[in-house]
Amino acid sequence: MSQDQTETRDRYRHFLGIQTRWSDNDIYGHVNNVTYYSYFDTVVNCFLIAEGGLDIRDGRVIGVAVETMCRFKKPIAYPEAIEAGLRTAKLGNSSVRYEIGIFRKGEDEAAASGHFVHVFVDRTTNAPVPIPVPIRKALERIKTPGRVEQGKRP
Amino acid sequence: MKADPSKQSRDDFPYRMSIPTRWGDNDMLGHVNNVLFYRYFEAVVVRFQMQEAGVDWVNDRISPQAVETLCRFHRPLSFPEIVEAGLKVERIGNSSVTFAIALFGEGHETPAATGHFIHVFVDSKTLKSQPIPAKAHRTYEKFR
Repeated sequence: MSQDQTETRDRYRHFLGIQTRWSDNDIYGHVNNVTYYSYFDTVVNCFLIAEGGLDIRDGRVIGVAVETMCRFKKPIAYPEAIEAGLRTAKLGNSSVRYEIGIFRKGEDEAAASGHFVHVFVDRTTNAPVPIPVPIRKALERIKTPGRVEQGKRP
Repeated sequence: MKADPSKQSRDDFPYRMSIPTRWGDNDMLGHVNNVLFYRYFEAVVVRFQMQEAGVDWVNDRISPQAVETLCRFHRPLSFPEIVEAGLKVERIGNSSVTFAIALFGEGHETPAATGHFIHVFVDSKTLKSQPIPAKAHRTYEKFR
């Protein structure tokens, strides 16, 4: 079981507003656990496209998910709009670990938080490649200083 | 648990179910999108909870809620293959249970993905955690 940890907005460097949809809710009237990963996917890819110039259609390099994790703290529900916070926790040669927080409007503590590890590979050969420079620069900008693991305050 | 979960076989998982992939599960790279792996995790966990552990999601006052999930992606899956999902109980706590999950692609001995799914039993009114009900507890012991 997870250790207790507080993920607040100040721990994230980039935010994206996301509108929940009717079909995100399950029979309990809350956003289903699986859907949070769709928000993760959205904040990560929107950032890579807008800030790092990732070309998802024709680019030679693609990002492949190798590990994702989410801890669910408080429910969220359609029709609220949420905000996804993003930071770079670890930047390797061809891989990056993002950490993500899902926030309700006006709340400082994350309703859910987790991580997403991407490895960048050649679209044709599937072999890992160095992170393209524009993407690396964008990821450097949202890096958290000095620490990488959740739950261990500096 | 073996040291490297990606080397596990179907026999390591006492509860299994087949899940047909759907056309819409594939993303623009031609593989099942990472998010959908959790949809398969959920399918095997929810079915197990209903059919083996006796959970009635609608009528039970005390029912399980997801508190943490994790997935490691070892190999792609792709429509139209039929995925076999395997489940075993990895840890039984006072109010929580951790399931180890693996997804096997057609024709592969080792999993395309492995991970875990943690359920905590809560009172549906107060959302406070509650001890695992006796029937569910007995079931989890059997599927370790």
